[in-house]
Amino acid sequence: MTVKSILAALLLAGAALPSAAQAESILTGVRQTQAWVENFNPFLPTTRVFSTQDFVFEPLVIFNVMQGGKPEFRLATAYTYSDDLKSVTIKLREAVKWSDGESFDADDLAFTFNLLKQYPQLDLQAVWTQIEGFEVIDPLTIRFDFKEASSGVIYDLVRAYIVPEHIWSKVEDPTTFTNPKPVGSGPMTDIRRFTPQEFMQCRNPNYWDAENLHIDCMRFPQLANNDQVLTAAARGELDWFGSFLPDIERTYVGVDPEHHAYWFPAGSAVMFSLNFETTNEGNREAINDVNFRRAFSMAMDRQAMVDIAGYGYPTINEYPSGLGAAFDTWNVPELEGEFGEYTRFNLEEAKAILQQAGYVDTNGDGFIETPSGKPIEFSILAPSGYTDWVNTSQLAVEGLTELGINAGLSTLEVPAWTDLLMRGSYDVSINSIQVGVTPHQMYSLALASRNIGTNRTAAAHYRNPELDDLLDTFYQTNDKDEQFQIMSGVQRIVAEDLPFVAVFNNPLWFEYNTKRFTGWFNADNPVGNPMISEGVPERVLHLLSLRPVAAD
Amino acid sequence: MAFLLRRLGFYLAAFVVAATINFILPRMMPGNPVDIMFSEANSTLPPEARAALIQTFGFATGPLHEQFFQYLKSVFIFDLGLSLRFYPLQVSQVLAQAAGWTLFLVGVSAILSFVIGSMLGVVAAWNRGGKFDSIVSPTALAIQSIPAVVISLLLLFAFGTTLAWLPSSYAYHPSLDPGFNLQYIGSVLYHAVMPVVSLTFVSLGGYLINMRNNMIGQLGEDHVVMGTAKGLSSRRVRYNYAARNALLPSVTSFSLSLGAVMGGSLVTEIVFNYPGLGNTLYLAIVARDYPLIQGQLLIMTGAMLVANFMMDLAYVYLDPRMRRA
Repeated sequence: MTVKSILAALLLAGAALPSAAQAESILTGVRQTQAWVENFNPFLPTTRVFSTQDFVFEPLVIFNVMQGGKPEFRLATAYTYSDDLKSVTIKLREAVKWSDGESFDADDLAFTFNLLKQYPQLDLQAVWTQIEGFEVIDPLTIRFDFKEASSGVIYDLVRAYIVPEHIWSKVEDPTTFTNPKPVGSGPMTDIRRFTPQEFMQCRNPNYWDAENLHIDCMRFPQLANNDQVLTAAARGELDWFGSFLPDIERTYVGVDPEHHAYWFPAGSAVMFSLNFETTNEGNREAINDVNFRRAFSMAMDRQAMVDIAGYGYPTINEYPSGLGAAFDTWNVPELEGEFGEYTRFNLEEAKAILQQAGYVDTNGDGFIETPSGKPIEFSILAPSGYTDWVNTSQLAVEGLTELGINAGLSTLEVPAWTDLLMRGSYDVSINSIQVGVTPHQMYSLALASRNIGTNRTAAAHYRNPELDDLLDTFYQTNDKDEQFQIMSGVQRIVAEDLPFVAVFNNPLWFEYNTKRFTGWFNADNPVGNPMISEGVPERVLHLLSLRPVAAD
Repeated sequence: MAFLLRRLGFYLAAFVVAATINFILPRMMPGNPVDIMFSEANSTLPPEARAALIQTFGFATGPLHEQFFQYLKSVFIFDLGLSLRFYPLQVSQVLAQAAGWTLFLVGVSAILSFVIGSMLGVVAAWNRGGKFDSIVSPTALAIQSIPAVVISLLLLFAFGTTLAWLPSSYAYHPSLDPGFNLQYIGSVLYHAVMPVVSLTFVSLGGYLINMRNNMIGQLGEDHVVMGTAKGLSSRRVRYNYAARNALLPSVTSFSLSLGAVMGGSLVTEIVFNYPGLGNTLYLAIVARDYPLIQGQLLIMTGAMLVANFMMDLAYVYLDPRMRRA
């Protein structure tokens, strides 16, 4: 009996949650992970804690994608190009201090870029493939010299996060250093507590922009999957997160309509990649024919994909060039009249196109063959864990089957799927493209022939010298009008040739709670990308716009 | 003694074979760690950065024969190298963090299910055909055939989400710091309830049926009849004459399950977000973290062989005939 009562007492003690004094404003954020690993080295991309960049190490400049790439100056106050676009001079902000009180200056930049040169494995933005060198002009001015004239290098330069020379010069091996007590330049540098299940990151006592920072600490509990996030979110424990929550109006907003809200602006484009170099003869003949690709695209019921497969969360993408709503400012409206029909669901028209181009069932097996009589047969690949993508692919198969195309669906584990796409040994697959500051990144990643084999986005193995030229010249000018002209040319080629079939844009996942904090980015206040995840430097701006709700 | 030495030799050979398989198996999976990391970080890395990653993780993607000799060396000096998924942590650090939780979780539930299952089996066999037997045994058979994932998810849904009586994740409340105090230990036990119950539930049925069937066989044996005829108490006959012999096959499966302890319980740990070895192995496989997978498989191999050896020792104790063999 005594053992039982002790156990009962222990269980009760364990069930009672410890209550913490809440004098400070503590924001609870989520980035799904299986375990926190204490690593605040900004140069280790795969294992660093996700709040290392931007929050511990602030960028020089933040290019706000949602505002057409408008620069928000942080540690830098200006950058100017030389007339030939072969160098850029960056002016640094005065009186910026590291979190330990030492001052920040151009020597820290010099040290950091030398570090990247010495250890190429840390040079994650491949800066040194683009710059020749740099020169410190005075403690607050530095000039970078490019290998070729470019107005695009700056986007990579500002993503190389600057570390303090007085700390890192004593680090023996920066490639394995985990930087446990980080000294940084950003708003949140003080790691107060760190366990694999939760960590707490608090304000930088010497932050240069302290007057705009109203949050004292950020708490990050470890939550592994969507179900766990949903459970915690419904209880109102989370402030800033971005997870897939099924039927969000009911499961999250409905629980506390006054405070629970979300905003899902358009993000990366989801498309079908068709492999131009597939080894399967019949499929290759079909895929290399623009008529087949147009019919394929017209068999996609994009609205159903958004509503059924995506729970209505994504944004439909019917741009003839696959541009997507995120880059609407770059859109060329004439293309809609010329090629718009090819990116809208229309089975009758698609059948007619195929018939005219000579795709008929010649051998009587119930499926169409190529004009030269070869069979067309493929399975659309989809990564098995991504249920929305699997359902989207299923809808695609249904559309293609209507056209008489022998298409199926095949799901496989993410690493295996990535591998097939990288090697280009597949026929058709669902895929996605990340969007950068300008549309250049997405077209370049997916379609520039030099990127074939370097990333899974370029899985189409599409080769078009004219397009390559346009993409190469884009950053050889700093003139917005000229860039727009070039991008119009790119869009025309893509709309006409349809090298990939875009269907919708993934949402930028963002859910929030106004019970403890206000000032969130949302549809009424669309300042920038609202996500808390890595790779979104705008999250600093978001953090600074938050205000705690006065306790009653 | 010769018996034990022979067994030891056998285990050594088995270990070498298993270690080689541990090396080959992860590398036969499609996909490689660098491309996986690269595509996961796609939003932040330009294509050129792939070269940087290959340089960092070259030790895991270099020529196969070099990797193999590196690996063989590491097995014998017990330096398992750096993990990729948790870079730059040592594989041994990652495994050490997880091992304690798994030992606790799977160990407790293995012992619980063995003890409870076997006891129930003895009772069911003694009163075979009775009310207890006719309810418990078919139920056990039914439970045995339900996969662990179903039981875990049902428990999670009922007690974690709907009733919210028990925590749905973690090994202890995240705001606590580990320490030897009532609150921490209580929290650990509280968080272990659901995973332990679901693991115990899954394997309980097997022990029960095993024990019951062996026991019924034993009860018909002459020595049991003689024990009863001598007028021994039914308790003595039940446990010392029948159960002790009937236990032998159950000991085999128990020690095998102890060996599997170090493998963790993949499904249960993932469902309950429990930071054990099973969860770690899953992460390692998804990331194609070869060094970590190797390390984990090596531990599992070692644990399995040690458990088997213990089983041999236990047999020698339980079965006097083995001592002469």
